[in-house]
Amino acid sequence: MDGLPRPPVWTRQSPPVLGARPAMPNGLATAFRVQMIVLGAIMMREIHTRFGRHHMGYLWLFFEPMILGGCIAVVHYVSGHGLPGGLDILSFYIVGYTPYYLFRSILNRAATSLLSNAPLFYHRQVTFLDVMIARNILDCAAVMMAVLIMLGLIGATLDVWPVNLVQIAFGIFLIAVFCHGIALIIVAATMWGVETVDRVVHPLTYLSIPLTGAFYMVWWFPISMQEWMLLIPSVHMFEIIREGQFGPVVPYNYDVVFMLASCAVTNLLGMLALSAAKRRIEFI
Amino acid sequence: MLELRNLWKSYDTHGRQKHVLRGLNATFMRGDAVGILGRNGAGKSTLIRMIAGIEPPTGGEIVRSMSVSWPLGFGGAVHGSITGADNCRFIARIYGKPAGWVESFVEEFAELGEYFRLPVKTYSSGMSSRLAFGLSMAIDFDCYLVDEVIAVGDARFTERCRIMLEERRKRSTLLMVSHQGELLRAFCTTAAILHEGRLTFHEDLDQAIATYHGL
Repeated sequence: MDGLPRPPVWTRQSPPVLGARPAMPNGLATAFRVQMIVLGAIMMREIHTRFGRHHMGYLWLFFEPMILGGCIAVVHYVSGHGLPGGLDILSFYIVGYTPYYLFRSILNRAATSLLSNAPLFYHRQVTFLDVMIARNILDCAAVMMAVLIMLGLIGATLDVWPVNLVQIAFGIFLIAVFCHGIALIIVAATMWGVETVDRVVHPLTYLSIPLTGAFYMVWWFPISMQEWMLLIPSVHMFEIIREGQFGPVVPYNYDVVFMLASCAVTNLLGMLALSAAKRRIEFI
Repeated sequence: MLELRNLWKSYDTHGRQKHVLRGLNATFMRGDAVGILGRNGAGKSTLIRMIAGIEPPTGGEIVRSMSVSWPLGFGGAVHGSITGADNCRFIARIYGKPAGWVESFVEEFAELGEYFRLPVKTYSSGMSSRLAFGLSMAIDFDCYLVDEVIAVGDARFTERCRIMLEERRKRSTLLMVSHQGELLRAFCTTAAILHEGRLTFHEDLDQAIATYHGL
């Protein structure tokens, strides 16, 4: 370029970088910075590995939940059953199915997530927890995006607009955090074999569909049954999302403290299980 | 400095404990170039992976007061479904190096041509070792762990590796495992033999190779 011979490649030394080396972080601020860099890098990489670099592959990140959520909603809309309280059918299934997609994808992918990221663990600063957090943040963001786009479309065509977007996002976030904790437990369980765990998890998430609360509201049921339903944290989460969409036109049943507590419990158990199993998980 | 203190590694095989490493003690200093010889299945790769921090020891500890590379060997470390260039940028990011710099360094060292922008799973084994080796050189570790990687390259690559490691020797440590004595001769100054779970050091490389062949 400038006509000068370049020095041979092996004599070059990498330029110094501001900030510390991630391999041996010291201090809380540095550790946090490193954590953020690692999470960002894993997310970027995850997008590349899952969707490729070309043809706007990353758009699939939210097309996938959109297509599924959209189809389910349209099927219910076309089949023409009304909903109690006269709620809009399309948006009811969008805010039910799409967050359920998040619930299922976090749990279903948990068991194989270490295996499919094995090369990452050749780098000491990348932990199992990092990979799980990065993937689940990505999934959560994708589903929020998908819900946002579809609710926007419904608003534009049917003039049914969400009442409180922040509340919808909060509900989706709670589902992600709750499932993240369970996903950690699933990962810890892979110490008994990835395939075994994977085979158990898939039917369980499938069977859990009626329990999650994604497709019905608590007030539709008799009081005696409601008590039982409200023992399931995700039921509360879908309720809070629906309130964000429809506002105070029908009764909602949820308890924010219970939801936060259940997120804390699954995450605490997950992290304990993972740190106990860490040494016995074979991922390569 | 890198120190192994009474390092044990055992695996469960069919309900029985198999002790692969039985209490290793060693100290590696900056500038050392140590070859570790061992037959297939002697536990060489296990040892390297433990030093790299990928596998936890069953007993004992590893004290690292310098930055240690990931094990340079077949596969591992780089991801097959993304391109060589993407691998470079990812690894640059997590090690806090400028991504563009690492990318151009590796591109020049590995000489992958257009393959550099293709998924790693399309590479030959020689090409992926070139990528992995170039990457680890770009990150600038204090200690390099090499697991036979150089053996799969052609003569030109081996020579480039040798020059590069020679250059790095002033500031880095090299730990290399192999079952071939001859390969170590090109890169190392001292050698140790890993046999029946124990590590024996030899000051003299030739003596170590002779002892190894006599096993």
